[in-house]
This record gives sequence, structure tokens and C-alpha cells, in this order.
Amino acid sequence: MGDKGQGDQLPLGSWVLRARVLSMGIASTPSRVDRRGVVVGSILVVLVLIGVYIGSSGLQWFDPALAPYLFGTVLAVFATAYRYIVWLRRPPTAMLNSRGWEAMRAKGRRGSNAVGLVGKLVNNILLQRFIAGRSKVRWVAHQLLFWGCVLAALVTFPLTFGWLHFESADESGRLYEAFLGPFATIQFDSRGFFGFMVFHLLNIAAFLVIAGVAIFLIRRMRDRGAIALERASDFAPLVGLFAVSITGLMLTASSLWMGGQFYAFITNLHALTVILGLLYIPFGKLFHIFQRPANIGVSFYKEAAEATGEQTCIQCGEGFASVLQMEDLKAVLPAVGFDYSFESGEHYQDVCPKCRRRVVGLAQVARVGGFG
Amino acid sequence: MIQSGYDPATAVFAIDQSRCIGCRACVAACAECDTHRGVSLIQLDTIDRAISTQTVPLVCMHCEDPTCAEVCPADAIKQNESGVVQSSLKPRCIGCSNCVYACPFGIPKYVASFDQMMKCDMCYDRTSEGLKPMCASVCPSEALWYGSDEEFSAKRTGTLVRNWQFGRQTVRTKVAAVVSEPGPVMITIGEKPTQWQDDPFGLGR
Amino acid sequence: MAMTPVTEEQLIATYGPNLNRTPPGGWDAGIEIDKVVDTHCCFCGQQCGIKLKVSGNKVVGFEPRYDFPFNEGKLCPKGVKRYLQGSHPDRLTEPLARDESAVGGFRKINWETALDRTASEIKRIQAEHGADSFAVLSGVSLTNEKSYLMGKFARVAVGTANLDYNGRLCMVSAGAAGKKALGVDRAANPWSDIPLTDVVFVAGANIAECAPITTSYIWRARDNGAKLIYMDPRVTPAARTADVFLGVRPGTDLAVLSAMFNLIIERDWLDHDFIDNHTNGFEEAAAAVSGATLDWAARVSGVPASRIEEAAEIWGTSATGMLLHARGIEHHTKGVDNVLACINLGLATGKYGKPGSGVSTITGQGNGQGGREHGHKCDQLPGNRNIENPDDRAFIADVWGIEESQLPGKGLTAQEIMNEIHAGRIKGLLSICFNPLVSLPDANFTREALGKLDYYVNIDFFLSETAQHADVVLPGSLHEEDEGTVTTLEGRVVKINAAVSPPGNARRDWEIICDIADRLGAKQYFDYETTEDIFNELRRASRGGTADYYGITWDRVVKEQGVFWPAPEIGHPGTPRLYEGGKFFHPDGRAKFIPTPWRESAEVPDSDYPLYLTTGRVVSQYLSGTQTRRIGALVDQYPEPLCEMHPLLATNLGVTDGDIVRITSRRGTMVAPAKVVETIRPDTVFIPYHWPSDKSANLLTQRAIDPISGIPEYKVSAVKVAKGTGRRDLLDDRDLTLQGDQ
Repeated sequence: MGDKGQGDQLPLGSWVLRARVLSMGIASTPSRVDRRGVVVGSILVVLVLIGVYIGSSGLQWFDPALAPYLFGTVLAVFATAYRYIVWLRRPPTAMLNSRGWEAMRAKGRRGSNAVGLVGKLVNNILLQRFIAGRSKVRWVAHQLLFWGCVLAALVTFPLTFGWLHFESADESGRLYEAFLGPFATIQFDSRGFFGFMVFHLLNIAAFLVIAGVAIFLIRRMRDRGAIALERASDFAPLVGLFAVSITGLMLTASSLWMGGQFYAFITNLHALTVILGLLYIPFGKLFHIFQRPANIGVSFYKEAAEATGEQTCIQCGEGFASVLQMEDLKAVLPAVGFDYSFESGEHYQDVCPKCRRRVVGLAQVARVGGFG
Repeated sequence: MIQSGYDPATAVFAIDQSRCIGCRACVAACAECDTHRGVSLIQLDTIDRAISTQTVPLVCMHCEDPTCAEVCPADAIKQNESGVVQSSLKPRCIGCSNCVYACPFGIPKYVASFDQMMKCDMCYDRTSEGLKPMCASVCPSEALWYGSDEEFSAKRTGTLVRNWQFGRQTVRTKVAAVVSEPGPVMITIGEKPTQWQDDPFGLGR
Repeated sequence: MAMTPVTEEQLIATYGPNLNRTPPGGWDAGIEIDKVVDTHCCFCGQQCGIKLKVSGNKVVGFEPRYDFPFNEGKLCPKGVKRYLQGSHPDRLTEPLARDESAVGGFRKINWETALDRTASEIKRIQAEHGADSFAVLSGVSLTNEKSYLMGKFARVAVGTANLDYNGRLCMVSAGAAGKKALGVDRAANPWSDIPLTDVVFVAGANIAECAPITTSYIWRARDNGAKLIYMDPRVTPAARTADVFLGVRPGTDLAVLSAMFNLIIERDWLDHDFIDNHTNGFEEAAAAVSGATLDWAARVSGVPASRIEEAAEIWGTSATGMLLHARGIEHHTKGVDNVLACINLGLATGKYGKPGSGVSTITGQGNGQGGREHGHKCDQLPGNRNIENPDDRAFIADVWGIEESQLPGKGLTAQEIMNEIHAGRIKGLLSICFNPLVSLPDANFTREALGKLDYYVNIDFFLSETAQHADVVLPGSLHEEDEGTVTTLEGRVVKINAAVSPPGNARRDWEIICDIADRLGAKQYFDYETTEDIFNELRRASRGGTADYYGITWDRVVKEQGVFWPAPEIGHPGTPRLYEGGKFFHPDGRAKFIPTPWRESAEVPDSDYPLYLTTGRVVSQYLSGTQTRRIGALVDQYPEPLCEMHPLLATNLGVTDGDIVRITSRRGTMVAPAKVVETIRPDTVFIPYHWPSDKSANLLTQRAIDPISGIPEYKVSAVKVAKGTGRRDLLDDRDLTLQGDQ
């Protein structure tokens, strides 16, 4: 917390010096290492490695050429888990996290919550309907990016981990068989439609992503509001996704139409973009992939909190929030360094937002010679 | 007459409730800024219309230590180098409304259709280019005022106060209140509004 | 022609009002802005500077115009949302002819047919019933150029004396009083004088809602230590911090003003030097108020005697003072006397012709000031000339190139024209920029009258409630679709710039008028190439008049951010402050005290109708609402008329906030939700007048007019109020702020 000293005149210049990034988790405590974060991160890394070992039948199907990707993945897993743990430790996040799970697992509500969860997953996570409320174009762009990335991840990670490989199943070399670990699954004609789709899944994903990136970029270039607020960090993920997609497509182009020219160079370039991309996830804007699903917990929390009754405003007597959320908030505030209690025993947080504006207005008016 | 070129880090945003005439020009204009895109983020309330025409316009006060940001579970509220506390980051905000209920000034709005909190960002598209924010540009009564320190001294009377006392909590803000004498603004609960006009119609009540 | 061609519902379904809004979620901050046009707001006489953003011949937004000195970027909510009137789905883009069989009651016709028919109907009616049987009604949302043109058109092309305008419902009491007492009709000071004064006395002006930007000038005066006196039956938003509040009973302002004048004489707070050297008639005026004791005034007005005394002392003993008045004292059968009483207070204490001193009206309509100077007022010729003065007639006849004898005489005022239409003596009407069905008193009477017209042609950009009764509707131009000049409430001539061109087949108003003139055989008098040609003719026509624009050119107006008239010669700097050195505009250079003996309003409450009704405006609507009732955010802010009443009255009626009440006068009845507030006199109810048909406050008002100015007595009607059935949950801030513009 910053200083809470007294004094009426705030030296204006201090604002310039206060280029602070608030509560950025890692950023706000750069010197201390979070032990729990290290432990959880390490455990996850070990789990990934074990998964790779077992899934690839003792590395039998692990493609050493993909080792750099595995390296990037492992680093990303560790850093993401670390940041996630640090994030969860912030008092408001911890409160919401435990409340969310509590609400979801509440006895007597599990059945309906399970049903509700499906709906919330579909609407909030898969379809992202809330974005459509902001702008249809934005929603289309985000869906393109989302599904492109999901598709790419579904192909890339199993391949990298050696969980998925293909073997030729006849003499001609046209018939292919897909293996999940040691288990043979389907056979398909590599020159057929299905085969074409399978081998071009990543290209399709790349096109989806590039389309999404293009829409976002155009918006960022022409929307005056976005231009005013944007930072380099808003472009980084777009540039990264574009780089990954375009180098991937170049690989295909090289092998299909250029007789493999520059193939090795492009392979390295592509690997570099992917690895940098993976490493960017925990530090940048893409971390929202892991944060935003907390919204599901919030909606369970809100539903559960409703049942606790309405907090009434001690000023106007009208309800304004759930009792549970206000109690939680009053517990969280001291933990982040605030004390809104009065000598009288009343708590300012028991005043509704509308009445807060009114008392602020009255307090100021009382100081202007009684005008008002 | 300076009308642009204000440095958002040092410019004065002053609020004087006693000047407000409740015309809602600020509410209308707020929606016209390019970062707000049709959503009005300023707050304007009547104290108690049955008794008085007094109204209270409030923009985000841009606290030095924003309670809203500290209680946000998603790290979605950021303060920039000018001391402006920005609206929630779209990808992060999880719509929990903690900030709505924690803000001592009652500023943030949870916009249900976006499932996102939005609040005054001092028209960042304008102020970052040295222009005045929309509300303080149009305000007919200068209850909302934006300009340089020198302009304030030259054009207005009163003291700018940026310290607020909410019970045991001191809050320091970038936006200033115009009051007669220095000293923090003490917030009290239970104040009832009164007609400043004592018995305007001579009813002897 | 009879009543509307189809039902009100059918008309509304086709022609609106529909609400134009910023689209939800679709507000595009990336739209390409082709140009940003410096112009002024179309709503109200302050004429705030504004920049309009244009994209593809559409006005898509606004930007504050910080460089215009009057408002420095400030705007009220009407100004902020004014851009939404362009590109509106209700915009008329084709000439229409009444057709009961057509959807919406009108069918499209071409311009030739519409103009030919109009000209032949004018000729036919005048041939059958005389030249004056065809009337022209105009409006002061029109520029100076169009106002001037309408005056010339009615007199030269149509040849009727019966031309009047909707300023008749607005500033004419102030204009008439100014001319009688001071020899000129204009605000005494530029508004920049307000912060310099020792006392601001606001008489009958809801500044916060009707001239919002003026508030900042008054607050600046307060910052500088000025006292604030406010006289109003309601504690309006800007009145709430007044030092002395005079909560006057409707129609009794004159009693308070007279008692103040009397006390100032008694206590000798007079400026004898000023009275002796610069005025005439003090003794007669003083004699007329000699019986106006504080006790008497308190009894009549309901204002405690001590407050009247306090107000008189502040006004009488301050070295400087500004008295600002508006419709609150002007909308009366003694509107002129009320203003004269204010002027007497100013003259008696020498508050004229120096910084921070003056008595001024706050002109209400967009071009209320300029419009009334240049010729669509029934008794006036350009330059504020008198249509009954032979010299003035000869001068204008010469400018127009006609014989003096061709120039019609003084015609009827707006309300009288409507009375004559009702009586069947006026048979035809051309109207532009005027919605009398909403704005004239006694709306039922106006509706009956419109039903009696033989031929009615209406020029407008939306199908107003009055236009619904027309035989032919001609789509004219919106404010942003033509250029010209407007004269603000300060007397400052400013330039309106065209942002876009009229959409579809809509045309500029002045071109339509010239084309009709052509068909009436007056082509040679209406031979203009550009709007500026009209202004240059206006300059010549105003030369030597009191409102002398001769030295004002469009170039100067743009370059100097407006020029104050009079500017009689090229290069004249203009005249921001009038009467400097105590020089008034009568031939002897002196002002006249004019006696204002007390008299009652035309109708006062009695046992049948025991309450006062007073009407007025709200900040989010403008006049008859033709434009502002079509803009979503403005309608959201105040969606329907409310009946304001004091809790004491409400308790007597058994009414609580939001209950529907029935308000009845001798003219009609209406229902509205009650708004129970302590900010209004307990013997008075207030209803804003911006709405049509069953929501029209003018169903209740009366046609009584001031004998001199012809202004109707909107501010005093006797009514009874009873609890009706049902109630309305009135909008609360919480709904409003969340609603925003979505």
C-alpha cells in the first residue's frame, strides 16, 4: 500500500513519479519468491514430463525434433502455474476463489450447479457471449482467435508430447493410421478429404487466427478510443499470434510449392515464435486465458450470495448488494490495507453506492459556505 | 485562454457540487467520448428531489491508492503514469462487482450487458492529447472544471482539497473538491439534506 | 381541409416522433471524420459555439468549440445530443400532399406540383377573400437571412399584412418594453458584464434549465462576491443558493417590483444625477407605485415583506447591478408592464451604461433576437423599423424596389391570426418553423382553427403536430443544412455554417420561399444567388434603423467571433454595451420611466378553479419539441410532462409522488403524474409544455394576451387538480445513469 499520510495539498508532481503498476502479482513483489508457486509449478512440470514419458510409450514416439517445443511448454507451464498461485494468494482473489468453489460444491445445489456449469462453460468460455454485448465484430474476431488457438493446441501438444503419431498403413503409402500412444485408432486415405483436413488442421487454425488478428488490428488502427488507451502490450499478443501462424503457413508453402526450400530455416523460425509465444502467456495479456474462467466461479458465488439476503443501506434503507459479498468485502479490505469503519461502530461499506455519492456531495457542500 | 495542451499528470480536475444545476450535460457528453463509446460513466444524483433541486455530479476521483483496484480479484484495474485509474481491462474483468461495492465514492458501474465494470477514465482519449475531458468541457455551471493550476487561481475562488476522511480511512485523490477553507473533507453517515433556502415560500414551517 | 387525414396513431407510425439514439454497442469510434464544422447550437438564444463532426454528408458527432468566447466549449444536454437530429429516420425528404388513402395520410408529390398548387391556392384565396385572408406564420429558429426573407416574402410576394412569428410567444414583451422605455430592443450588456456586477437579480428566469450556460456567468459573479436575488414561484436549480429568494405567487411580480421601487424612493437609494440627466418621466412612474407598500406587496405576492425589503436594499444600495428577466415575468397580460417595472428599477438606481450594470432579457429562442429585428413581426420592418412610420416604410420600399403604397400595414399577432382562422376570416396559411398546435395556448381551440383552413402549406424538416393538418408539406432545411447568421441573446451576430446539404429532395428554406415568390410573380424581388446575398440586402435594409447591421459583414462575423449590433458603418467595432454615457435611443437621448400601475392577471384562482398553473421548460427539451422529442437521450431524461406540486397541496389532494392527477381548467383537461416537491409554492402547480395532444399543458392555458405585446398569459391559469387513477414509477437517477445512451 502507498502512504496514507495527511495533508491537504497533494504535490501534483508526485503523480508523474508514481508510475506504479498496482497489484500486478509478480510485479509488485519482485524480490520475494513465492514458495508455494515454485512447488506447484514444479509439480506440474513433473506431471507433464511423466505424461510425456508414459504417453509416448517410454519416449518411443517422442520426436526429438520437437524437443524445443517441449522445452518451451515446460517453461510456460511452470511460469503460468507460478503466476496463477501468486494471483490466487491476493486476498480478494483468494476470497473469491474459495467462495466460488464453496458455492459450486454447496450441498443440495450440486445437481443444479452441474447443469449450470455446462451452460456457463458454453456461454462464457466457448461462445463468449459477453463479448458480443460489447461489439459483434469484436466477438467474431475473438471467436476466430479462440477457436484457431484451441484447434492448434489440440494438434500441437499431443504431437509434441508424443501422444499422437501417424503411421503409414499400406504399401502405397496413401493409407495412414493415427496412433494415440501405442493405440491404433482410425485409418484414412491421406489424399482424401479427411486426410487433407487432418494434415492441414494447423493451416486451418492459422487462417482462423490470422483473420482474427487482422480484425483486431484494423480495429486498433482506426478506433480512436482504442488508440488512446493502447500500449505496446496490446499489440504483443497479436503480433505473436500472427508470427506463429504465418511461419507455420510458410512451412506448408515451402514443402508444397517450393520444393522444401528454406524449410530448415523456417522450421527454426517457427519454433522460435512458438516458444516465445508460450513464454509470453504467463507474463502478458494472454494470461487472461487463465484468469477469465474465474468468471464462472463469480456467477456461482453471485447465485449463492443472493440466498444470503440483501444488504440494506444504513443511509437510505434500500438493498444494494448481497450480505455475503459485503461481509466478504469487509473481511478483504483490512487485508489490503483499508479501514472504512467509523468511531461510532458504523461501517462505511454499509452505505450503498448511491448514498455514498450523496454523502460525499453533502460533505463537500457543507464546506462551501452552506451552498447546496 | 488556454483550451488544450494540458498535461494529464498535472492538470486540475475540480468538482464544486454547490454549482451543479443538475442539467445532465455531463451525463450526455460522457457517452460521446471515444473511450466510452455510447456508455455514460459519470455519476449524477439528486440528493433528495422532494426537498431540494440539489444534485451531485461525481467523476472517478482517481485515488492515489485506489480501493477498487486493491479489492479487484482479477487485477483488472490499473493506474497509469498520470495517476488516472482506468476502466477495467476487458479481458480480465470477471464482473464480480467488488469494486462497485468498495469504492468510497460510489463510482464504478457494473454494465450487465458487457459483464464488465466500467468507470470514468477521465476521457483518456482526450486528456492524453491535452484536451479537457467531455464532462468538464461541457459543464454549463463549471461544477466540473478542468484546467491548469494557474487557470484555477486566476478564474476561481476556493481551496482545492484532495484529502477525504471516511471514518478511519484517509483517501487521497487526484480529483479535487472545491471548498472554502483547507482541511480534509470529513464524510459523515446519517446526514439528511436540507433546503439551503430556509422556508423559501414563507410558510412559517 | 379538415382535421388530420388519418388518426394520430397512424401519423406517428409513419412520421414519428421516433427516437434517434447512439446505437447500443455499435458506437463506432473509428468512423472517418471528413470535416469538423464550426457552427452554433440550434437550441436557445445563447447560441453556444459547437463543432459538428461530419462523415459522408452526415453529422455524426460533436466536439466542444473551446474558442468561442461566449461558452468556451460549454453545452447543455440539448447541445450535446443535437447532432442526432440529422440523419434522423423521421426527416422529411419529399414534398407531401394530404391523402386520406395513403399510409400515414400523405403521399409524395414532386416539387413542381407542390409549388404550383401553393401559388395558385394563395392567388385563389386572396382573389376570393382579400389579400389579408392569407396569413404567413414564421419562426425564430430561422436565421436572420431567412427571417428577413419571410418578412419580405409575406409583404411583397404574398402581399398580406397578416404575417407574424412564434417569437410572439417568447420575447415580445421585453422587446416592446425596451422600445418604449429605452428606444431599442436589445440586451443592455454583453454577458461578460455579469461577473463584474455587485448584484444579480434574476426575475422569472429558470436559468439552469432554459439558459444553462448563463449559470456559469452568475456563479462567476458569486465568486467575485456578488449577491444573488431570485424571483420565481419555484426554487429552480440555480435559485437554490440565492441570497434572497422571492417565492412569488404567479402573476404578482409587478407587486414585488413596485414595492421595491417604492421603497427605493422612500429610502432615497435613487441615483438622482442619473435620473436628472438621462431620463424623463420619473415623477409619474414614482406616483404610480406610491401605494405599493411592503405589506400590500407581501399580501398580494405571498412574499414576506422582509424579503422584499432586503431585495430592495441590496438592489438600491449596490453600485452596480444586473437584472436578468425572462418568460417568467414576460408571459403575462401585463408582461410589458412587468419588464417596464424592471427597467424602472434600473433607471432609478442608475444601473445602465456602465460595466456590470443593466437590465436585460434572456432571449429564449435560437434567433429570438435577430429574428424579431428584421421583419417577420407583424408591426416591424427590417432594422427594427416601425411599419406604421411613413419614413421607415418609404426607406424599406426603396430598398425592396416597390412603391410605398404596395407595402401592407400592421397585421395581426400570432394568437390573433389563429383567432381569425378560427372565426373563418383567414382562409389560407403558410407556416414555417412554427408548431402552434403545441406552442399556442388553448390547444383545443388551435386544433379547431387548423381544421377550418381552406389551404394550409407547411415548410418543415419533421412532420410537426401542426404540419399533420397541412394540405401540402414542403421539406425544408435543418439548421446544419444551410448557412447564415443569427443574433444571440447578447446582441452578438454570429455565423451558422452549413455542415451538410439537405438530404433527398429536401431543399434550403430560402430557395423554397424564392420559388413560391417566383410563382406569385415576384421573381425580380427575390433574385438571390447565395445566402450571403440576402444578408447583404438585410444590411442595407437595416441601415439607419436602431438594429443597424450595415457595418457587419459575414467576413467580420467569422473573423471576430461575432459582432454586436449596432454597427452602422463599415469598420465600426460594434457595440457590446449599450447606453454608455447614459445615452439612450430615443431622439432626445434620454430613457423614459413609464408608470406601471398594478393590475391582476386575466384569470385568477376562484372557488371552482382554486390553484395557479404556471408552465415552462425543462432542460432536456426545446420549445414544442419537434426536434428534441426525437432524440433518445433527451427524451429519456424527462420522458413526459409531470405536474409539480408542494407536499402540502399533495396531502390535501391525497396524492403521493407518482400518482396520476387530473388537471382541469376552463379550457380543457389533462392528466399527468404528480411530482411532489417542496420547491414550489403550495398554491401553484407547474407543468412543462413541450408535448402535444393529451400531454399538452396548453390544453389548460388561456388565450388572453398582453394588449401591447400580444404575448399570451402562459404563466397564470386557474386550475383544479384531483387525484386520477393509476400511478407511474417516476424515473430515478439510478435508472437514468444506467440507461445512459444504451
